[in-house]
Amino acid sequence: MRGMGYLFKEGVRSVWNNRMMSAASIGVLASCLLITGMAMLLSFNVRNIVDQMGKDNQITVFLDVSVDEITAVQKIGPEIRRLDNISSCEFYSKDEGIVKWEQELGPLFGELQGTENPLPHAFHVAMVDLSQYDTTVDSIKQVEGVDMITDRSEVAKRLTDLNTLVTQVGLWLVAALGIISLFIISNSVRMTMYSRRFEISIMKSVGATNHFVRTPFVIEGVVLGLISGILSSVIVAFLYEAMISAVKYIVPIEEIPYSDMAFNMTAGFIIFGMIIGAIGALISIGRYLNMEGGEILGW
Amino acid sequence: MIQFKNVSKIYPNGTHALNDVSINIGKGEFVFMVGSSGAGKSTFLKLIMKEEEPTSGTIIINDTDITNMKRRRVPYLRRTMGIVFQDFRLIDKMTVFDNVAFAMRVIGARPAAVKKRVNYILGLVGLRDKAQNRPAELSGGEQQRVSLARALVNNPSLIIADEPTGNIDPEMSFEIIELLNEINKQGTTIIVVTHEHELVHRFKNRVIEIQGGKIAADSGVPEEKAEVPIEISEEELAKIPDEIAEEIPDVSADEINREALLAIGDEEADE
Ligand SMILES: Nc1ncnc2c1ncn2[C@@H]1O[C@H](COP(=O)(O)OP(=O)(O)OP(=O)(O)O)[C@@H](O)[C@H]1O
Ligand SMILES: [Mg+2]
Repeated sequence: MRGMGYLFKEGVRSVWNNRMMSAASIGVLASCLLITGMAMLLSFNVRNIVDQMGKDNQITVFLDVSVDEITAVQKIGPEIRRLDNISSCEFYSKDEGIVKWEQELGPLFGELQGTENPLPHAFHVAMVDLSQYDTTVDSIKQVEGVDMITDRSEVAKRLTDLNTLVTQVGLWLVAALGIISLFIISNSVRMTMYSRRFEISIMKSVGATNHFVRTPFVIEGVVLGLISGILSSVIVAFLYEAMISAVKYIVPIEEIPYSDMAFNMTAGFIIFGMIIGAIGALISIGRYLNMEGGEILGW
Repeated sequence: MIQFKNVSKIYPNGTHALNDVSINIGKGEFVFMVGSSGAGKSTFLKLIMKEEEPTSGTIIINDTDITNMKRRRVPYLRRTMGIVFQDFRLIDKMTVFDNVAFAMRVIGARPAAVKKRVNYILGLVGLRDKAQNRPAELSGGEQQRVSLARALVNNPSLIIADEPTGNIDPEMSFEIIELLNEINKQGTTIIVVTHEHELVHRFKNRVIEIQGGKIAADSGVPEEKAEVPIEISEEELAKIPDEIAEEIPDVSADEINREALLAIGDEEADE
């Protein structure tokens, strides 16, 4: 389009002329993007860890000592398998159990084998969806002959809860900060418009289209968004590495390397930033576009 | 060119600024509009440029009824008009050149065309050597000429000037009206609001007097004026269109004509 170069220059120039307000806008929008980004990265990683753990998310279901092997295999086993959310259910006899104990704790228990074996029969059960852990455990407990349940996936369960929390808190934060960013950007653009209301009134009196009047301000908003997007994607890369090495210092985990996500994160930040910038600018502009010369100047 | 049919304007606060005004102003006329303060002169001009809407009645400009004109057409209506404000309305932080160029840039003119045309127009109003000055460094008369140059730069078919001589000495006022007279001779319709009887007497133009929102007197077009040829000379028009039309192949005929008119100053500016 003709005159686009002029409009673009005008938009970029006002970011600079308005630098205090621009800096504030960029600061808030970049923080919003940063928090969103970190919450997303955290969530991706937790999900990744949970997925890995899910592969051995077994729980052990111990039966009453009085239950014999035949009842266990033929009656209780199929009954557990019929429940929802069960991916596998393998019989684990008390003989296997005692052998394992012996291996782990030494020959102390040697004489407890055979009929002297005090252990109950058990099943190794795995679930499809860990987030339904509690309901599934409850329904297993309802099965007749089941005594108690131990699990080795408490960590996975905690992580899943954490993930849900991170997602929820993250969403609220993003919504709140998104609104604040919109507010600040639209104010920044409004200040530019106010300081240039005289020019706007002249533009309108010589026949500039609304599109033409609007464009430099939208460009100003978009440039603010672009800078915020670039800034936050650089910061998030460093922050992520720092966070991962801090966590690794405490618990050994296998993180998703940043390079796997760098492109998507950067593109996402920039696009999201520019969209917020444009919307923020448009919010302010509407007011002026429907006014005429004298009204704009307040004469 | 301009037709008011039973136009009334009541401002939201209840002020009756215009009362059942009907008048015709033909193409190529030069009209002085007089009347005491608060008579409704500025309101009349604002209705023409559609800065205000009439409460009732019809306004026709260039055979187009602008009363029901769509909002998005208004900018194109204004491009056919040049407006000179009493208080100049120049942008302080821009140079004289940029103040005038601004009016071309905001309607999307190409940089090369802007440069040529603005230099030509600044020459016309005698300000070529002040092009890089700021408005604050100019006298009142010079500022008024910048404001006039801005109104002229898009080659409007109508010029509206609200008290263009209000802030300057009589000699300067005379020169400004003289300049407008020259422009008028090339076919541009001109409406000038003024309080200065001296000017009105010196230039024998049509005088419309507004009082209390009504037309109180209308001298009609003076006889010697009515005969003045008002079209741009054939040869001037003939020497442009071809090259211009080639340069911008996909614009409407209307726009080509505009470009052609804008280019009239080009050769002279190059000298
Ligand atoms: N925006 C407005 N709102 C309300 N009343 C207005 C408005 N503009 C003008 N008026 C009123 O309308 C009447 C005509 O005003 P207008 O500006 O047309 O007068 P004028 O003839 O241009 O006067 P002057 O010579 O002082 O410029 C006046 O009484 C004025 O107070
Ligand atoms: Mg007035």
